[in-house]
Amino acid sequence: MSEKKPEIPASFENARTKTAGKAAAAPKPLSIRDALYEPPGPKTRKRTAIATGISLSALAVLILLVIRQFYITGQLAPKYWTFFARKTTWKFLGKGLLGTLEAAALAGVLAFVMGFLMMLGRISRRRILRAVGTGIVEFTRGVPTLLFIYFFFLVVPRSGIKLAAIWKIATPVAISAAGVVAEVLRSGVNAVPKGQTEAALSLGMQHGKIFRKIVFPQAFRYITPALIAELVIVVKDTTFSYVVNFPDLMQNAKVLISNYDALVQIYFVTAVVYILINYLLNRISVTVADRTGTTL
Amino acid sequence: MQQEPWTTGESSAPVRQETVREDAPPVIELRNVDKHFGELHVLKNINLSVKRGEVVVIVGPSGSGKSTLCRTINRLETIDSGDIFIEGRHMPEEGKELSALRSEIGMVFQSFNLFAHKTILDNVTIGPVEVLGRKKKEARAEAMELLKRVGVDSQAGKVPAQLSGGQQQRVAIARSLAMHPKAMLFDEPTSALDPEMINEVLDVMTELARQGMTMVIVTHEMNFARRVADRIIFMADGNIVEENTPEEFFMNPRSDRLKDFLESLNRK
Ligand SMILES: Nc1ncnc2c1ncn2[C@@H]1O[C@H](COP(=O)(O)OP(=O)(O)O)[C@@H](O)[C@H]1O
Ligand SMILES: [Mg+2]
Repeated sequence: MSEKKPEIPASFENARTKTAGKAAAAPKPLSIRDALYEPPGPKTRKRTAIATGISLSALAVLILLVIRQFYITGQLAPKYWTFFARKTTWKFLGKGLLGTLEAAALAGVLAFVMGFLMMLGRISRRRILRAVGTGIVEFTRGVPTLLFIYFFFLVVPRSGIKLAAIWKIATPVAISAAGVVAEVLRSGVNAVPKGQTEAALSLGMQHGKIFRKIVFPQAFRYITPALIAELVIVVKDTTFSYVVNFPDLMQNAKVLISNYDALVQIYFVTAVVYILINYLLNRISVTVADRTGTTL
Repeated sequence: MQQEPWTTGESSAPVRQETVREDAPPVIELRNVDKHFGELHVLKNINLSVKRGEVVVIVGPSGSGKSTLCRTINRLETIDSGDIFIEGRHMPEEGKELSALRSEIGMVFQSFNLFAHKTILDNVTIGPVEVLGRKKKEARAEAMELLKRVGVDSQAGKVPAQLSGGQQQRVAIARSLAMHPKAMLFDEPTSALDPEMINEVLDVMTELARQGMTMVIVTHEMNFARRVADRIIFMADGNIVEENTPEEFFMNPRSDRLKDFLESLNRK
């Protein structure tokens, strides 16, 4: 290239200084929420505050009523709660929690891999692959999770295949989620504007590379919240672990219940733990969505 | 490496005429190209030849097939029949060879189409690195050079959504230039821009024309067309109705269609 540059027209210089000012004024990247919703005005904020107040009071009343009912039926008696002071109780529940997390993580990974392959079939330019993909997606979405679990618990072992308990729960849960994952992925791919592909084609990139470098990374950003929502369902589906005797949180909770005869108390604690897990996942989803908002 | 004429920045030649190479084979040639969208006959037996260094501007009413013509040149649109040649080589219909030939033709879109998840710098380097196999470091250095030439080097680390339309379009031009194209196609590059940003893009294009880049430009900017075009083509209903030098085109239109078209512009 030549050393001497063509002189830069005045309009270029203007453009430069203009944006320098703009950049300083907008230090925070635009998030999806900022882009989609107007910030609430004073009236809206007041109304939101009132609604929040009413909801919170209602919730407090409800909780009080429940506690009262428990008191009347004797569920608050010390014998139903003292075992929570024992370390072994928490150790046992913790082990169960670990099992839940392991099963959910394994199922999540499996569901993503299977869903990805199914999505590739769905968007294939070959009609046969598309048909096969559609068939599998509809099948996995239509059949209840529990049926898949019984299949892996009762039918698969008969064919001589020996699976560890975690696979007996994670695989069917994953299959059941994979169809949804495939459709979520596909909607993300379809949401990427066609111009992105055309620009890449015009640079001489080939379809496989365009998918990997341009389309999929953008699709993935669009759908991360939906994928995490599906992970919440996967976590909840692992509560079927008791069917295959895999020691997850639910299964261990059941053991404790029969040991201490304290159904309400243990289910209460267990429910809180599940809510915490899924709340955490939702927080991650919101954070991720906000962080990737700039690319929309 | 071969030195493309447009990379020699010192040229201060007038925009038109001097850069056209009559002796070389045409960079772009379309022979008897036909295309339908379903029932609609969008391109009717199109014959077009663009010489090296030539700037061809295509004008015409909306829906006349200008974009489609532009897009068939690098086969973003398929054609029903006819032939397309790039420097005398037949443009293949698919596969690696098509991709390779596409990489030699730059394309600038109305809606910019910068890669939304990549930084400005990565937008300009992705072609050289992924398609031409250039080293990342070299590609970055050249990309910065190109961004400087179009006046957006200070934005290199941002993502496209953080830039103005005019800046984005200039980046899109730099992205194409990074491939050292033999010719560039522009499909209404300023139609999506606010009025105050149109000139900053046209200035970059004028500079390219001055430096001898072979260009096919679809535009509604008639003053710009008059200034940079070696030849103006008028399209209507899928036909090339008329083509001429800018002077003749505007001063002595032959067909009634073109007369009507020019009049409708004056009325605006
Ligand atoms: N993908 C498509 N499918 C069907 N019809 C199309 C498509 N693209 C363009 N057309 C039609 O083809 C005609 C020519 O379009 P186009 O080349 O975009 O015209 P111009 O760029 O001159 O405005 C128009 O009538 C348009 O509606
Ligand atoms: Mg058009």
